[in-house]
Amino acid sequence: MLGVQDFIGYYDWTFEYLRRKYGEKALSAYWEEAIAFDSQHHAYELVKNKGFEGMAEYWGHTLNAEEAGYTINKTRDFFRIDMFDCPSVRFLVRRGPSPGSESAKGPSKDLLIKHSQGYYHDYCEHCMGWVKPIMTRTGFMVDHEHNHQGQCWWEMHRAGAGSRRKSEPPLRGPQDVRKLKAWRRGEHHLYLSSLRVTEMD
Amino acid sequence: MAAGDFYFAINATFRFIYGRWGEEALIDYWRALGREYYAELSRRFCKGGLEEVEQYWKDYFKLEPGGVVKITRTDRAVVIEVQDCPAIRWLKGAGRKVMPSYCRHCFHVSSAIAEEANLVFELEDGDGTCRQTFRSREGKAC
Repeated sequence: MLGVQDFIGYYDWTFEYLRRKYGEKALSAYWEEAIAFDSQHHAYELVKNKGFEGMAEYWGHTLNAEEAGYTINKTRDFFRIDMFDCPSVRFLVRRGPSPGSESAKGPSKDLLIKHSQGYYHDYCEHCMGWVKPIMTRTGFMVDHEHNHQGQCWWEMHRAGAGSRRKSEPPLRGPQDVRKLKAWRRGEHHLYLSSLRVTEMD
Repeated sequence: MAAGDFYFAINATFRFIYGRWGEEALIDYWRALGREYYAELSRRFCKGGLEEVEQYWKDYFKLEPGGVVKITRTDRAVVIEVQDCPAIRWLKGAGRKVMPSYCRHCFHVSSAIAEEANLVFELEDGDGTCRQTFRSREGKAC
């Protein structure tokens, strides 16, 4: 039986299977159709019906169940998550490199914690892959950055005239993951107003 | 204990592959998963034999959220009697529409794992209650 205890491992493998067999577009469709609006249908309903409150309800439950290290910050203008210990990345790093990955070809510790430790070349992208379609459909935009080291931040805000952001939001207090020394490690992917901005080493 | 909501994603993944590319594609996915992702498990079964098969599944079901499973080993086989499948229970409990062929994944994934370990896998019944058997192949060894 496929259980949930090693789900992250074969979820990652599934990304690579779909990519190699059907292509990147099919994988994006998988995140949007299967994950966002089928698997995570309950998240969509909560966000659609309750907005920021629904986000707090969904991620409060889910991240606790997955034993993540995170904080949530909900205001009138945005809903924010600072993730300082992502359970999925923790699982992949503990498992070690998949056979055939760049990391598996050598014992380098640096390679082990780059974002190629899994089967799929960029596991972290799947979160934007399903979160963005839900936010777009429910009238929100996403600012997000991850460092492929198990740390990321998310800020959802309402879409509308003048709501497009051109730069990162300011630091949001002591719990802001960007204040951690370890934050600058790794390879960063940044999204502003739901669009990929750049890659920063 | 692992997060049971991941069963939603497993169910949705099967539905997505079946809906886009059909039953054969779904079976191909299951068999590739068993052969590739679980290659190391096949090696463990190959090396440790039925004792390893028994221990693996006992440990595995302990970490799943809920379910009632009895596992026994004889000289020639390990029998997993699933009296209350944790996945089916979770999906139905959440009001999810379970893929009609959901239970077939056990047959195809475990068959692929077994074949690589020179074992035979058999599955009877489904929809929350089933009997799974890993059997030694007569006269064969890894």
